[in-house]
Amino acid sequence: MTTFQPPVIDWAALTPVLVIVGAGVLGVLVAAFAPAARRRSIQVVVALLAPLAALGAVAWRWSEVVGGGESTFVAGQLAEDGFGLAAQMILLVIALVGFAVLASRLPGGEDAFTPQGASAPGSAYEEAARKAGLEQTEVYPLALFSLAGMLVFTMANDLLVLFVALEVLSLPLYVLTALARRRRVLSQEAALKYFLLGAFSSAIFLFGVALLFGYSASLTYADIGTAATASVGMDGMAVVGLLMVLTGLLFKVGAVPFHAWVPDVYQGAPTPVTGFMAAATKTAAFAAIARLLYVAAPGFAWDVEPALWVVAIASMLVGTVLAIVQTDIKRTLAYSSVAHAGFALVAIVSLPEGGPDALLFYLLAYSFATVGAFAVVTLVRERDDAGNVTGEATHLSQWAGLGRRSPVLAAAMALFLLSFAGIPLTAGFLGKFTAFVAAADGGAWPLVAVAVLASIAAAFFYVRVIVLMFFTRPEESDEPQRQRAQAVAPGALTRVALVVCAAGTLVLGVWPTPVLDLLAQAARFVV
Amino acid sequence: MSLMHYLVLSGILFTIGAVTVLVRRNAILAFMGVELMLNSCNLALVAFSRVHGTLTGQVMAFYVMVVAAAEVVVGLAIIVSIYRARRTVSVDEPSLLRN
Amino acid sequence: MNPYVPILIMMGVAAVMAIAGLATSAIIGPKTYNRAKLEAYECGIMPTPHALGKGRFNIKYYLVAMTFIVFDIEVVFLYPWAVAFSDLAVFGLVAMLGFIALITVPYIYEWRRGALDWD
Repeated sequence: MTTFQPPVIDWAALTPVLVIVGAGVLGVLVAAFAPAARRRSIQVVVALLAPLAALGAVAWRWSEVVGGGESTFVAGQLAEDGFGLAAQMILLVIALVGFAVLASRLPGGEDAFTPQGASAPGSAYEEAARKAGLEQTEVYPLALFSLAGMLVFTMANDLLVLFVALEVLSLPLYVLTALARRRRVLSQEAALKYFLLGAFSSAIFLFGVALLFGYSASLTYADIGTAATASVGMDGMAVVGLLMVLTGLLFKVGAVPFHAWVPDVYQGAPTPVTGFMAAATKTAAFAAIARLLYVAAPGFAWDVEPALWVVAIASMLVGTVLAIVQTDIKRTLAYSSVAHAGFALVAIVSLPEGGPDALLFYLLAYSFATVGAFAVVTLVRERDDAGNVTGEATHLSQWAGLGRRSPVLAAAMALFLLSFAGIPLTAGFLGKFTAFVAAADGGAWPLVAVAVLASIAAAFFYVRVIVLMFFTRPEESDEPQRQRAQAVAPGALTRVALVVCAAGTLVLGVWPTPVLDLLAQAARFVV
Repeated sequence: MSLMHYLVLSGILFTIGAVTVLVRRNAILAFMGVELMLNSCNLALVAFSRVHGTLTGQVMAFYVMVVAAAEVVVGLAIIVSIYRARRTVSVDEPSLLRN
Repeated sequence: MNPYVPILIMMGVAAVMAIAGLATSAIIGPKTYNRAKLEAYECGIMPTPHALGKGRFNIKYYLVAMTFIVFDIEVVFLYPWAVAFSDLAVFGLVAMLGFIALITVPYIYEWRRGALDWD
């Protein structure tokens, strides 16, 4: 028996992750020790400062690593390279704006979460908790832990690390989904659905891991890649295993046919959580898919590519068609996110030749628009007869004429929708453009053709919402006044988040060169 | 008992678990199906680990157990809170999510 | 002989003994029923939740069950660590201390927030 050699741990490379995990642990301690009245303010400060500090750490690692400092550590289980750092940077930016929306409150002082998660919806206990002004401040550490899992996801160079990170990012999201303040039964049902399907997909993922381990006798990507070129037989098992692992990851991005949970969960979850989850989970999971395909699976490119083509085309078509027939704004955005998973897969298919920078730029553009659009949804509310602000007005008909009542907010929403649609001068256009060009360079012409057609069809329903907001007169007769959407004034944090998202969408659309250059010089994998 | 036996058994367990998840309408039973799937993965991992003569698969199985336990806690918490609100854990009950 | 055959034999013997025991008591045992016999077995104390149909288990049982699972499973890591303790030396000790410290944080949280109080 060989003597034990401690693995080399590159603590410096782990600083961004450690900052976020540390902040999460600190948040749990705050929830334990801080007096109830001050808990929330401390939690919000921690949750906003941590991504900022981690962003600084990533910038520092970037200056150390990019251009020759790439390495793998902990026996090859984690990788630090330009691609991972760029993905982490995007995730932390999403987290900053996402957490700002998460932490904001309506003018009346209520936040998006139930006052007491343990209370049954509609019970006297819940009412008492609401009257007492309780707040479920645990949401901030939960969001931080989820973010930590996502950061590790982008560095994972080993199936064991990938699995643990997958669960660390998923489990807090299941809980967060169940914590909506309004429509709580809907929120809990969404959480149950998300949880059951998520656990199911993790199990499929895990069986794939077992098969890949059986094939290569190792869990690290590099060894699997080597085994693939060494041609040891049992290739069928490896391909099945790889497809099962990809199934687990594609579930997280909500690609067809693994999208059944997306509309229900996006609709049921508290809207700030939906925005964060939609943008960040997708970014992290696509980063993991890219690394897996690039480092572990080049030997199986011929076997995996047809499956990815089918998933990409199905996602674009199903997402687009079903988005058109929705009547709820959150479900519309959910199906549009399914379609966007397909567009991002177009960038992935082109990977070795096209380079991952197109994928990263696409994800950044998509994230700004997503967090921004869901932040707008949190502000558009119904009112009861007494004029009090109540739940979100998510039915599309309620949005009619919003542009007349709150032009600035409606303009911001229109900007995000145009970016989703990929109209020039928005980030979404350049994101799609670079992704499609990369795919076309890689020879995926048919895929690009489908993608362009789907984009044109998708533009229809984004423009429909814009027309509804600005050019449709709400029908006064058959709808009582209170049913119509009224925008509430955004709190300071939401205001900042909206400005950042809108500015990001515009700047990336008009003057993307610095970001594109940055991504191009950095987006390389360490093998 | 060759590797094949273990793999076949693991595959059978995995399939039973998957069918349970897809067919049973009770959330707890569906969840037990997921647990069965995870354990079938463990069996495959440990069997491969023995064949290859490395411990990696067994270590992975430990992690899977821990993660499964964490999943049980989160899942049961969600299921219990739904039960308290609706007095049922059927995933097919008239649902607010089916518009 | 295949090494698994003895195990099969043992399983067979165990099954026969279990079935034989149940069958014997069913055939020759006296059959009297009283209230105490029909009640859930609670080690001699009165069963607290009125069994099936009438009442429900207190929600606190679930809380304790969940807490138990979380803290129980760390043994999975402690056991192999203890077996290989001398090989792992200082690295293993520090890693395990870090792990225990992290596990302690949720414990403190549960304690402070009253999840461990029964009443």
